[in-house]
Amino acid sequence: MIPDILTQYQAEIIEAIGETFVMVGISIVAAIAIGLPIGTFLYLCRVGNIMANRWVYSSLNVIVNTIRSFPFLLLVVFLIPFTRLIIGTAIGTAAATVPLSIIAIAHYARLAEQSLLDVPKGVLEAAISMGASLKDIIFKFLYVEARSGLVFGLTTSIVSFISYSTIMGVVGGGGIGDFAIRYGYQQFKTDLMLYVIVIMIILVQVIQFVGTTIARKIDKR
Amino acid sequence: MIKLRNISKSYAQHQVIKSVDLSIGKGEIYGIIGESGAGKSTLLRIMNVLERPDQGEVEVNGQLLTALTGAELRRARQSIGMIFQQFNLLANKTVLDNVMIPLQLVKAPRQAQRARAMECLDFVGLAHAANKYPAQLSGGQKQRVAIARALANEPQVLLCDEPTSALDAGTTSEILAVLDNVNKTLGVTVVIVSHELEVIRSICNALAVMADGEIYDTLTITPKGITQLDKSPQSLVDKLTKEGS
Repeated sequence: MIPDILTQYQAEIIEAIGETFVMVGISIVAAIAIGLPIGTFLYLCRVGNIMANRWVYSSLNVIVNTIRSFPFLLLVVFLIPFTRLIIGTAIGTAAATVPLSIIAIAHYARLAEQSLLDVPKGVLEAAISMGASLKDIIFKFLYVEARSGLVFGLTTSIVSFISYSTIMGVVGGGGIGDFAIRYGYQQFKTDLMLYVIVIMIILVQVIQFVGTTIARKIDKR
Repeated sequence: MIKLRNISKSYAQHQVIKSVDLSIGKGEIYGIIGESGAGKSTLLRIMNVLERPDQGEVEVNGQLLTALTGAELRRARQSIGMIFQQFNLLANKTVLDNVMIPLQLVKAPRQAQRARAMECLDFVGLAHAANKYPAQLSGGQKQRVAIARALANEPQVLLCDEPTSALDAGTTSEILAVLDNVNKTLGVTVVIVSHELEVIRSICNALAVMADGEIYDTLTITPKGITQLDKSPQSLVDKLTKEGS
């Protein structure tokens, strides 16, 4: 039985969920397409590893840590000029994806690096002894052995991205979190806010369940 | 087959290999023995330039490995097999997929990869375990898979870094029998690094004794005992000679 108030705001809720999916979806793409390579590069540049370079590692490490330590609301505001530069506007769902993608990249880069650190050193040694190229080492050895951790990390990241996306209302990004604040909190429809929170809890539970199931299934260690 | 000339290697201030010369002939099963920290594993890893020496030359199959560029060295390594104490198999790949990796690296045709990998697994007696994962195997079986993987590209040399140190006595003999078979049947030159006297004595026909980064002595092993011991021995050599005679 769907509560009346949800039926009443059905169209707005669906639209808000769609906006959340767009923001989080683009962040996931950015995390995989840019965060994973950065995490891999960080791993390879660590002292004692095959591309060891203390200066490159330290510089990249500071950048990733700085982005991650920014209070997210301040990062959104701080990035407004940059967002305007690349999207043409600092307002709206598309503009909201910029700060969200940047935090997603930094967040997942760190988690990817941690997952790669769990790969036994011996596997890397075996790869080199077999004459593997850098590309082979990354794709045929490291990602194969770290895949479960990488999926776990991505699942954790997606849950964080959903959480981050709830404050994108400050730049007109919309989304389900913004809907809950505007209708539920600011218009005193507490029941509506609670229903939206329940929707978000269900969403996070589903993502966590799917992520954990996949990670377990592909882990043969 | 393998020639090391004036090899030295240091980590920070510590010199682990000191001007070592060594020559290993084609078809030999050559042992390198020494106590922990003697530098024997480092010396083995220098043979395929997994560790690059600070000084000296490494020649394998007539190729001067220390003079090769990155891509050339990778190609050269594809014909030098190596196995490790901890097996170093990919836990997320099946036994068959593990053995197929070296063939994928040389871009062998897909069908040929499978056939060759099965042939190697059959050679080590593990064809029946092709679809299992390493976690489902015993230590000895894992090492046999590692040997099959190292043989996939038909190497002329097999480097073994403490291949039985993680195994019990029964499994050790099983692995040594496989390595002996690799040498006798396929004609592969086998180099074994070990701190276990019995391992070296039971399989090798020549050996080098290492201590403190240097080769103290090189010896040959015959059914009559150990000969050519002509330098001042230290405790390990004493023990080896006493037990061998």
